[in-house]
Amino acid sequence: MHRSRSMRLLLLILAVALVAASCSSRRSSSTSSGTTAPGGSGGTGTAAPGAIDTSKCPGNDAAGIGGDTITLASSFPQSGLTAAFSEISKGYKAYFSYINAQGAVSDAGKKYKIVVKDKDDEYNAAKTITNIDSLVGADGSKAFAVFNVVGTSNNIAIRQSLNDNCVPNTFTATGSPAMGNPKYQWTIGSTLSPYSLESKAFADFLKRTKPNATVAMLVQDDDYGMDYEQGFRQAIQGTNIKVVKVEKYPVGANEVTAQITSLAATHADAFFDGGTLLACPNALQQQKAANWNAITYVSGTCIAKTLMGIAGNNADKAYSVTNIKDPINPQFASEPAMKLYRAQVTKYQPKADIDNGIVAYGWTQGALFVEALKASKAATRSALMESLRSMKAVKGVGLMIDGFSITTNGDKDPFMGEQMQFVQYDAAKKYFHDVGTMLDFEGQTAKLTPPALING
Amino acid sequence: MSLFFSQVFNGVGNGVVYASVALALVLIFRTTGLLNFAQGEMALFSTYFTWKLTAQGLPIAAAIGVSMVVSFVAGALIERVLIRPVEAARNPLNVVIVTLGMFLAFNSLAQLVFGTNPQQMPSLFPAGKLGSLNIQKSTVGLGVVLVIECVLLWLLLQKTRIGLALRAVSSNPESSRLVGINTGNMLMLGWGLAAALGAVAGSLVAAKGTGFDASLMQQVLLYSFAGAALGGFDSPLGAVVGGLVVGIAEALTVQYVHALQGITIIVPLVLILVVLLVRPNGLFGRKIVERV
Repeated sequence: MHRSRSMRLLLLILAVALVAASCSSRRSSSTSSGTTAPGGSGGTGTAAPGAIDTSKCPGNDAAGIGGDTITLASSFPQSGLTAAFSEISKGYKAYFSYINAQGAVSDAGKKYKIVVKDKDDEYNAAKTITNIDSLVGADGSKAFAVFNVVGTSNNIAIRQSLNDNCVPNTFTATGSPAMGNPKYQWTIGSTLSPYSLESKAFADFLKRTKPNATVAMLVQDDDYGMDYEQGFRQAIQGTNIKVVKVEKYPVGANEVTAQITSLAATHADAFFDGGTLLACPNALQQQKAANWNAITYVSGTCIAKTLMGIAGNNADKAYSVTNIKDPINPQFASEPAMKLYRAQVTKYQPKADIDNGIVAYGWTQGALFVEALKASKAATRSALMESLRSMKAVKGVGLMIDGFSITTNGDKDPFMGEQMQFVQYDAAKKYFHDVGTMLDFEGQTAKLTPPALING
Repeated sequence: MSLFFSQVFNGVGNGVVYASVALALVLIFRTTGLLNFAQGEMALFSTYFTWKLTAQGLPIAAAIGVSMVVSFVAGALIERVLIRPVEAARNPLNVVIVTLGMFLAFNSLAQLVFGTNPQQMPSLFPAGKLGSLNIQKSTVGLGVVLVIECVLLWLLLQKTRIGLALRAVSSNPESSRLVGINTGNMLMLGWGLAAALGAVAGSLVAAKGTGFDASLMQQVLLYSFAGAALGGFDSPLGAVVGGLVVGIAEALTVQYVHALQGITIIVPLVLILVVLLVRPNGLFGRKIVERV
């Protein structure tokens, strides 16, 4: 009896595990009831462009500032399958250490040191909520602001309570256009370009180079993939470009061979590789194996040194976009900004992979945060948000590429990454080089993105 | 039609991966009567170990060999230190919980020791396709290794005294002890062998040319369980056939059933349910008849 009973039991557990796995891979695409049209609220007219109505706030506008320190809270995967994202934090922590050692940052005439408190959420949005609740306090009385929480669903999970408590949720590490939902004024994204603008950039490139192109897309089966697909479909409206096939792969999967075989069979002229992490280089390898020569675009999340290194020759000539200087590109090696980055990250975060673009991204977000503090009118949360929501052609901060400037304008335009450089990978040299001039979608994200993606 | 065969070959490519892990699952089941949920993550750790050796300059074949030996010892130690104490309670659920704990622990440990960035394993088999067929040489290589493993396993279990003892222990530990078999050693041997098989499977999967990270075995394990359940948990041949069926079904679903995009994992689940309804012991499993 022993064996057959345990056998039945184990099969039951297996069945439950399979169901759980299939459920988690089919993450509910959180279509909340936020139906405010972009730019539809904030009609007072008298307030400054980035100002937020604080009349319903609990009155803790200066919480999180004690003596001469400003405390920031963050939550990101430090263990688990996406722990590679924790490299980002090494970039901004190095920048904050550097600024603190320089004599701290001046906010409204007083000097403050920046302290970051963070916790591991393993990319699990439920853990992000507990982490942020404990660091910010359920009533928002602890940390001054939330900084660079990684992941779309993770930021969506915390934005309501941060909104209710009037706590800034700043520089979110996701390109989801939903970070610009005007209903959540206390949340603002980072320099990562909205995914829908990446689609637009590639669509525009095809319009110029191959106006009758057929396109096949690989996207992840979640909101992130939806941003790419729907953004692209909107971008090609009225053109002769056609999407002939879209294949989706389960969230977190690396193995996409069957999907690529299916896409390659269409012999499409262009391939949009919306894969992230290892799905991205694996897709390129299978594309090569299938002898499918197509104009290829890889997700902006894929241009990290590690992933492109794995793709190797399979990634040769692939296009993407960026607005941060790639530390591995010798073109920038002699620039003071890059030298400063290398010296300070080596000094304060010796374990960081200094050639990894996501560390450079983290460094730049830290630098932009410091700039926003300097520009805020008071050492308060609402003043910080006003500063972040009314940036005027901010240039050259951290490792922003030359020609990239950030302008934000309250609810109408809370997006920072609206300018980007179209780039192409050179497998022999192992870095991307520029193609054409900067793409400028300043102030146009709301227009170029299906409204459901922003208001989701 | 050629697209159909391309997808079948894709399925075979994934199927041999599932089958090779399923084989390790079957081995533990045959020798201990238990399922090891941590099999995949143990294999992941071994894979990282193999990679580390290759990064130190060892050729990949030698690295896999060393990794097998180390994994064998580690697997035996795990049985002795972690599994046996809880097994004494005679409740299979206890061991299941421990293996689930190991599932989490080994994944985290691998990241702690070897870092979180994706890594690249050197290839053992030449790159490219076999002739004009749409099948990678690495897939063929993995298939050959799989067949060799199957044959060796069969020889060990059916043709040697140790194999007889292994089977005796899993079928009836008390009687085995009475006839003088050292059941403790046999259980350690079973775990050691399974860990070594896992090391081969993981290393070869990672060496298929694409990179690997800590998620290498997580999806594989689910599909391997499906393959093993399909083929019958006590049959090495069943594990291989089951793994291949699951792999092919998955690839064909991607191509032809668009409604299941992104949730192809539903396919093995349905396959298992259907097979277990018709043949509760799996396709190749033996029916257990006991006298009362």
